Amino acid sequence: MMSQKIPIALKIRQLVTIFLVGIIVIWFLSPVVLITISAFASPGDYYQIEKVIPTHFTLNQFKSLFFGLEAWKAILTSIKVAGLTMLLSFILGLPAGYALSRYIFPGKNFLKLLCLATKMLPLMVLAVPLLIIFMKMGVSDTIWGTSLAHTAMVLPIIILIFSSILSGVSVDYEEAAMIFGLSRLHAFFRITIPLALPGLAASAIFAFVLSWNEVFVATILTLTNRTLPAHILKTAMASPDYLKFTAGFIMAAPAMVFIFFVRKHLVTMWGISLK
Amino acid sequence: MVKVRLEGLKKYFDKVKAVNDIDLEIIPGEFVVLLGPSGCGKTTLLRCISGLERVTEGKIFFDNDNITYLSPRDRNISMVFQNYAVWPHMTVKNNIAFPLRIKKYSQQQIQEKVIWVANLLGIDNLLDRYPAQLSGGQRQRVAVARAIVMEPRVLLMDEPLSNLDALLRVRMRAEIKKLQEKLKVTTIYVTHDQVEAMTMGDRIAVLEQGIIQQFGNSDEIYHNPVNIFVAGFIGSPQMNFIEVEIVHKNEIFYLGTKGLEVPVLDILKDKVSKLSDKRNYILGIRPEHIYTADRAQTDKVVTTKGKVYFAELLRSDTVIHLEKEFGLLVIKTPGDLKIEEGKELEVLIDLSRIHLFEKDTRKAIF
Repeated sequence: MMSQKIPIALKIRQLVTIFLVGIIVIWFLSPVVLITISAFASPGDYYQIEKVIPTHFTLNQFKSLFFGLEAWKAILTSIKVAGLTMLLSFILGLPAGYALSRYIFPGKNFLKLLCLATKMLPLMVLAVPLLIIFMKMGVSDTIWGTSLAHTAMVLPIIILIFSSILSGVSVDYEEAAMIFGLSRLHAFFRITIPLALPGLAASAIFAFVLSWNEVFVATILTLTNRTLPAHILKTAMASPDYLKFTAGFIMAAPAMVFIFFVRKHLVTMWGISLK
Repeated sequence: MVKVRLEGLKKYFDKVKAVNDIDLEIIPGEFVVLLGPSGCGKTTLLRCISGLERVTEGKIFFDNDNITYLSPRDRNISMVFQNYAVWPHMTVKNNIAFPLRIKKYSQQQIQEKVIWVANLLGIDNLLDRYPAQLSGGQRQRVAVARAIVMEPRVLLMDEPLSNLDALLRVRMRAEIKKLQEKLKVTTIYVTHDQVEAMTMGDRIAVLEQGIIQQFGNSDEIYHNPVNIFVAGFIGSPQMNFIEVEIVHKNEIFYLGTKGLEVPVLDILKDKVSKLSDKRNYILGIRPEHIYTADRAQTDKVVTTKGKVYFAELLRSDTVIHLEKEFGLLVIKTPGDLKIEEGKELEVLIDLSRIHLFEKDTRKAIF
């Protein structure tokens, strides 16, 4: 009797697990699926109330979004801004992350806390002073200005992530390189960077995605050189509903593709080791 | 072959004196072991010599070159790290060739030297593998190969065997020692394992609290420890320490406490008679220098009795803990003895093997 009872209990537990996992997956996926379907649905199908799943698909709204509403320009701007943000935060974040990971110095913990503290001020509070400063400097409504602002937002997180990634590379590898003939700088570039590269690349892409998705600062700082989210906020939101879905889709797709490719490194990025 | 000389070397971390005024002279081609418990400063001392740690004060000489302020790469040294530090993104071959490439050897020289060292360490069939595909022992060999391929002036080793399993450790111990004898490279080897130190070191520096307690060969360290620390650190089980007073009866000096009276042999009489204070001494006797009645190696012994509190039956040896008035007396005797706990046992203390220490200074009198 006992020997039969245990497998049944196990089976039930398995079913419950599958059920719960299913619910979570549906919870996260359904908006994505909904947006994707609606993005491609023909307007006729979209407005037919009894049709839950549309059967006629079209690329027309992509056309009107890209060319009619000039989203292609915004996409180009977004790529430039996000690319610059990625580059800047990489260049600035690397030495800062290295310092935090390898050295003990007074105020180190305070500095780390400060990195997080930058996230405590609401953007609304910062936005107006930022705009005024940027206008005085003459960088408002430029790609540079937006990426500078984005870098400022992303950098603290990137620094913390970089420091945890670099901490994952044993200092012995670097010291061995120094013993066997390299300077600290060369040891860093020839030993540490190659070993940390997957994680560093993943976090750089993460910086890209953060900038790509950022809408508030981008909207306030720009009028003509708008990034995609800012542009969509202005144009597509005043358009028919099915266009909004299309806009949502083209915004979400690249970010999701990026995350898909770096998903393996996302865990290590935060300094969590699964070993 | 190079002579290494340390002069008044100090390394402080804030107020912690990790290395506290060390003078040391290592003769060319010597294998010196830095031995001590964790936190004694042995690794810090090694890192100072490597240049990975900047010294607070003092000087380091290789022959007559003052290298105290040179960066590690300019010292012409190499090092084997505790966790090997074999670079995971390079093949074994590239790992070994790395120091040679930096030093701008020609392709042909690199090829020849890599083959030479790979044969020497028996890893010639692993050259194209990545470290992740190697076992711990093989990685260890790669680390050693990388360290000796460039024929360094000084070879530094930081507990290189501590991550290996016991069997492999014994084998590598002999191999590294033989290798060093063949290459005749001045070697400084850090370990906390006294067996490694005793078997490998030409001379051993015993460290504690950033200070060299004793520097000598294994014979001196074992037979003539200069203080209680060295006496207690070397040897397993630990030396018995018994607090005693000096008693003078019928022209004979005794080292006595409750339940034990150890006569001092004539050859040591002078040293004892000079002592003005009669109290506060520590008698030291190693467990292996106390014999069971049937195994006495000499007749210069003193007999003492006690109840067996506990017996460690290692079969190759037997370690007996004997209950005495002053505490437990530990005896180690070779062979598989039938000892019953709780029984009375008579043992013989070898009088020529006793040590005497001052309690306050902890220094050895003999």
